[in-house]
Amino acid sequence: MANRRRSRYVPWADILDLLALLAWALVLLKYWLTGQLNILLHPDYMWLSNAASLFLLLVVFLRSFRLVQSTRAIPAAIANPRHFTLLPPSFSSLILLAVAVFGLTYTPRPFASDTALQRGITDTLTMTRSQPRQFRLDNQPEDRSVVDWVRTINVYPEPDAYTDQAVDVSGFVIYPPDWPDNYLMVSRFVLTCCAADAYPVGLPVKLSGDRAAYAPDSWIDVNGKMITETLADRRQVVIESTSLTEIPEPENPYEY
Amino acid sequence: MPNQLNNALTLFFSLLVEAIPFLLLGVTFSSILLLFVNEQRLVAAMPRNPLLGALAGSLVGFLFPVCECGNVPVARRLLMQQAPASVAVGFLLAAPTINPIVIWATWTAFRDQPEIVVLRVLFSLIIATLIGWVFSVQKDLRPLLQPSLTRLMPEPQPQLAMAGGVSSPLLRSGTYLMQGSGQIVSLEATATYGLPLPNPVKKPWSAKLRLLLENIIQEFRELGAILVLGSAIAAFVQVAIPREVVLSLGQGPVTSIVAMMVLAWVVSICSTVDSFFALSFASTFTSGSLLAFLVFGPMIDLKNISLLLTVFKPRAILYLFGLAAQLTFVLTLLINLYLG
Repeated sequence: MANRRRSRYVPWADILDLLALLAWALVLLKYWLTGQLNILLHPDYMWLSNAASLFLLLVVFLRSFRLVQSTRAIPAAIANPRHFTLLPPSFSSLILLAVAVFGLTYTPRPFASDTALQRGITDTLTMTRSQPRQFRLDNQPEDRSVVDWVRTINVYPEPDAYTDQAVDVSGFVIYPPDWPDNYLMVSRFVLTCCAADAYPVGLPVKLSGDRAAYAPDSWIDVNGKMITETLADRRQVVIESTSLTEIPEPENPYEY
Repeated sequence: MPNQLNNALTLFFSLLVEAIPFLLLGVTFSSILLLFVNEQRLVAAMPRNPLLGALAGSLVGFLFPVCECGNVPVARRLLMQQAPASVAVGFLLAAPTINPIVIWATWTAFRDQPEIVVLRVLFSLIIATLIGWVFSVQKDLRPLLQPSLTRLMPEPQPQLAMAGGVSSPLLRSGTYLMQGSGQIVSLEATATYGLPLPNPVKKPWSAKLRLLLENIIQEFRELGAILVLGSAIAAFVQVAIPREVVLSLGQGPVTSIVAMMVLAWVVSICSTVDSFFALSFASTFTSGSLLAFLVFGPMIDLKNISLLLTVFKPRAILYLFGLAAQLTFVLTLLINLYLG
């Protein structure tokens, strides 16, 4: 009696479970191997996701080994007495499986300029704080990234202190509202843990001509020097660009 | 609009990819606990005094480095093992914060503000102990718990059920067993006591491993599906509410705390990594509000409300939520007003 019930019911539920776990292992593996994990996580936490994919594979392997092997009944009565489910188990497996299958087909996209504007790019200079781990005072001005600059300026905000320093930074283009047509912002998202906490930082760039040639969200490399200007009623450092080249979007769009 | 959807999906998967390793860690620890740790002995070792029990429950988190995705199944099992309410609730609220991994992560993030680390631990302990103490007044927690859980719980011990009544359990009707230590146990209680977990120590290794595997899969399936739903909601809300609106509230001593508590509730970030998230607000937000984020977030947020629903009825979650929110608010406001 018990055996008959088992052969009718248990394998399906187990197979569904295994498929869901396998699908999630593959999702994590895919993000790992394709480098798409860069879009989702800070590098410090990637090993956790990678280890999780291996762990899930191990669980799937061990469990399927058991499933194939188990002509003897698994003592389900011992394993499942605590069946305290909020959702029906097969429904849970289906949700996990469906989302994982979607995850396998979905390529995460980094955030764009509209998100930066929505998350308050204008506040960036006060929003960041120096992180001693990554903050170097002895670097050459032209070696600084966007976030290095923002942190440096944050520590010592007087714009005139940076006048004529060489700048070579890359990032994506934002058109902040209320800025004249010959200004744009070169920006980056900074990640502290995962995409959920990405916050934008940016530097104003003064162009010799109109900014229309550089569409929002396109990636640019800016060369130039720092000047002080009053932009949108605020006295601040501005990059006076000498050359501006479009570059392909980097595989890892964030700074840390 | 496609951008909005894209952002929501990226957030959604980023939350999942970040949380799943910790969830796995949580269910693995919880399964190991199930099979290799004698919870009955652990629960028995807990002080019966409600206040001390709540404090001890809060500190048990140190033994189980799980975040809020992982502590709910452990708390649920502690309840099934007849842990006093004070111990279980203390553990539930404090474990995500009072554990070595989280303290280490907070220290990494706030190295230059060690007071944040110390106060986070201290406030979490105070709040969890107080709320555990409050819940201990309810001798029989079952009216506050989900029926699916209470079915698996043994009847309350006679002496607990008889609060204010006859002093000796032997004076009640029923059949009793006299145990070696002179303890008296109702036969009805022994019929179910410990039944969900027959003493694990006597099982052979292969059986343990099999059960471990079964349990990991079962808990991952259940909690994973709920995590998926919670992350979907969190991602949606984060995209739908402009963060600017949340941030603009964040300057005053009171509004900053409220804003950060709302943010903690909405973002639902795992306690193991939330200090890094808080770090990005460190220059615009008051220290008190950062603390509020770090103390309140791990206790109750959008994501783990769905997890908590596997243990508690909505009414109990409302009590937990209300008490935790008020205590966090008062303590962190004191910091803003007197230390900030």
